[in-house]
Amino acid sequence: MNGPSRLLAAVFALAACSSAQNLAAVVKQGEQVFSKSCATGYCHGVRGGPGGAPRLAARGFDQAYINTTVTRGVADTGMPSFATSLSRPDLVAVVAYVATLNGIANPNVGPGPAAASGPALTGEAARGAKLFTEAVRGFGRCSTCHEVGGFGIPVAAPIANVPASAAALKTLATPNVKTGAMSGESMPVLVLSDGKQGAVFYDLTSAPPVQRNAEPGSVKFSDGSNWRHSSAIAAYNDAELGAILTYLRAVIRP
Amino acid sequence: MIVTMRFFAILLTISSALAQDAGATRADWPHYGGTQFSWRYTALDQIDTSNVKSLAPVWMFQSGDYAENLQATPIVVDGVMYLITARARVFALDAATGREIWRYQYPEPRNTPGFVGNRGVAVGDGKVFFGTKDNYMVALDQKTGRQLWRVNIDDARQCGCNITAAPLVVKDKVIVGGTGGDGAHRGYITAFNTKNGRLAWRWYVIPGPGEKGNETWKGDSWKFGGGAPWLTGSYDPALNLVYWGTGNAAADFYDAERVPAGADKSKDVNLYTASVVALEADTGKLRWHHQEVPDDLWDYDSAYEVLLMDREIRGRMRQVLVHMNKSGLTSVLDRVTGEFLGAFSVPEVRTWITGITEDGKLVGRNEPQLGKTTTICPSAAGAKSWNSMAYSPRTGFLYVPVNELCNDITPNNRAAEEGRNYMNGEFPMKLAAGRSTYSHVDAWDPVTGKRAWSMPYKYVLLASMLATAGDLVFTGNPEGEFFALEAKTGNRLWSYQTGAGHRGSAVSYAVSGRQYIATPTGWHVSVVGGAAMSLFPDQDWRLGSTLVVFALPEGTR
Repeated sequence: MNGPSRLLAAVFALAACSSAQNLAAVVKQGEQVFSKSCATGYCHGVRGGPGGAPRLAARGFDQAYINTTVTRGVADTGMPSFATSLSRPDLVAVVAYVATLNGIANPNVGPGPAAASGPALTGEAARGAKLFTEAVRGFGRCSTCHEVGGFGIPVAAPIANVPASAAALKTLATPNVKTGAMSGESMPVLVLSDGKQGAVFYDLTSAPPVQRNAEPGSVKFSDGSNWRHSSAIAAYNDAELGAILTYLRAVIRP
Repeated sequence: MIVTMRFFAILLTISSALAQDAGATRADWPHYGGTQFSWRYTALDQIDTSNVKSLAPVWMFQSGDYAENLQATPIVVDGVMYLITARARVFALDAATGREIWRYQYPEPRNTPGFVGNRGVAVGDGKVFFGTKDNYMVALDQKTGRQLWRVNIDDARQCGCNITAAPLVVKDKVIVGGTGGDGAHRGYITAFNTKNGRLAWRWYVIPGPGEKGNETWKGDSWKFGGGAPWLTGSYDPALNLVYWGTGNAAADFYDAERVPAGADKSKDVNLYTASVVALEADTGKLRWHHQEVPDDLWDYDSAYEVLLMDREIRGRMRQVLVHMNKSGLTSVLDRVTGEFLGAFSVPEVRTWITGITEDGKLVGRNEPQLGKTTTICPSAAGAKSWNSMAYSPRTGFLYVPVNELCNDITPNNRAAEEGRNYMNGEFPMKLAAGRSTYSHVDAWDPVTGKRAWSMPYKYVLLASMLATAGDLVFTGNPEGEFFALEAKTGNRLWSYQTGAGHRGSAVSYAVSGRQYIATPTGWHVSVVGGAAMSLFPDQDWRLGSTLVVFALPEGTR
């Protein structure tokens, strides 16, 4: 996901391209996002009225302030950051909608949702993206250990090179996985740090990996392990792994 | 010498209480609900109805974390208090003086959705456990506060879920539920090994394809059907069963996408949402279930606390559990088998049903309709919110803070999007019509289902109850008063203005023979607290994050 600064650029740099027709569509979309994500009864009221959270309509907010608030949240309050929980088009749209509630008749909305979101994934790549994070797989999904496109837990280092095939994915060399010995127990580990303050490592014995801290000198690491990537991805069949690789090729540039 | 004698006096009280009060705490407050039976009742009786008027603050602790408020139930073990704040600052304090022993700060998670809040730590196996806003379970060394392990439960950005509940330690496992029940998410309870954080088991509230209960869902709706068990369960060591309440089905106010055509709504729809369940502690395997709100259309979570007690019912001693859901409907079940023994409803204003049959079926369901607005009482904020009731074995009463709020529900039919809000309705809250008071503390007998007394209050009551063997009941109100009621009558005997609203859970414990009462303070402006405050525009209930601790002054005991 992009940070707030890139988002701001997307909102404002492209503002000149917006048409009245597009504006109406974006504001309408923003209203839908608002009633779904903001006016939930527990938080802001319908059409920016008061609810559990403050009134937003007719407060004299300017668009930059609204954008900052929505993307970063407000410290020390219940207002969270929506930078990653809303898609970029939804974010632009809801900011525009709240702007209209504050008397800004012609908010900047960029060229519209389709252009703002970049090329959408289709076909095999879209299927692979879904498989990568699919919730019904519990801890057997790729995103248990890998973060791609703003989703997943970054246990492993960012994926830099995409293997050529499902077979290559299964026999993937994992030189960073070592063997840790602690209190008479041996386990496959990914070492995050090992120094005078002690060691921090992921215990890969079972999924999900556990980040563990060890007192200085209490754990010994040695190269090699009995851990295999093929076991971690065993819940996927070859066709599914193929789709996942197609997805990764679409979003990861070497 | 005097101290020693006092200590003996307490010990004597304790030993006589032991036999009858398996659910009572003593010097420690070891678990979220007091003991794993979740009574929020202490066998300590140094502070009683005759001397409570002398109760005075002895120390306070300013957490410094004023993000939301202090909701956590403090845990006290061997004279040390473990306290967590909304943004996961954890403190170990000398429980007699408030002196800080160690502190720990969880790194502030960035870009994770959901509300900031934390309802407590769990202590066991030499560790302090807590859940986080970015969905990790974390273990600290109980002596030093150093982090030992942490493990991710789910990607908060994807599931729209996190952890605000206190975990429950059961033998060598730490068990936790998560939020997300109002989003497109499939709820679950997860257990980790206390020693190393490795996964022990996970139980999904909603059964997957091929599992019994999946047929109670239409199509693929089970994938995002909610049910998040977002509070803390109970445990019976003799039966080795864990009891937990589950959240509402999603979408909350619109059921056409989740209920199979022609379903019988009298029983078992959208399992196991809005239910209380018994799970085998070692495996997470479902032993039995009781669904309280089949096809929930009112956001009536059943995620609340589960009280375990033994009571004589219709001439026979039964091992029962008592469980209230948001509607205020309270079920009494045999906790061995799940057999339904009775139910009663606590709010005075009720429009969602007209009644309950003897076998627990809902009568006269007033279901919100797509595109129409229906006034429903009690509101989705709950006849009782997440704050706990208490139970005293001396009076046999449950002590319940009840709110009389309604909401105007207008359902819509938006499609599910994973991890996003999936309530499918507007539900602005309002005060119940024709009243001048909007809450009350009640004493209910769970066996007869009768109310013994009720103390009205003009605003709302959103703090947990604490019952004591001194025949006192403590709680706080949003105006900042922390007060004691006589357990048998409801008469108000004492109050103290703490300076900030009450939305947390008070506890009692003893150090060196002196009994203490500790209450978190600070109003909560998000979710229910904020919605409730908006109903009283002239009120400005104060935020804060301070623990206030009371005892009888030296020489008056």
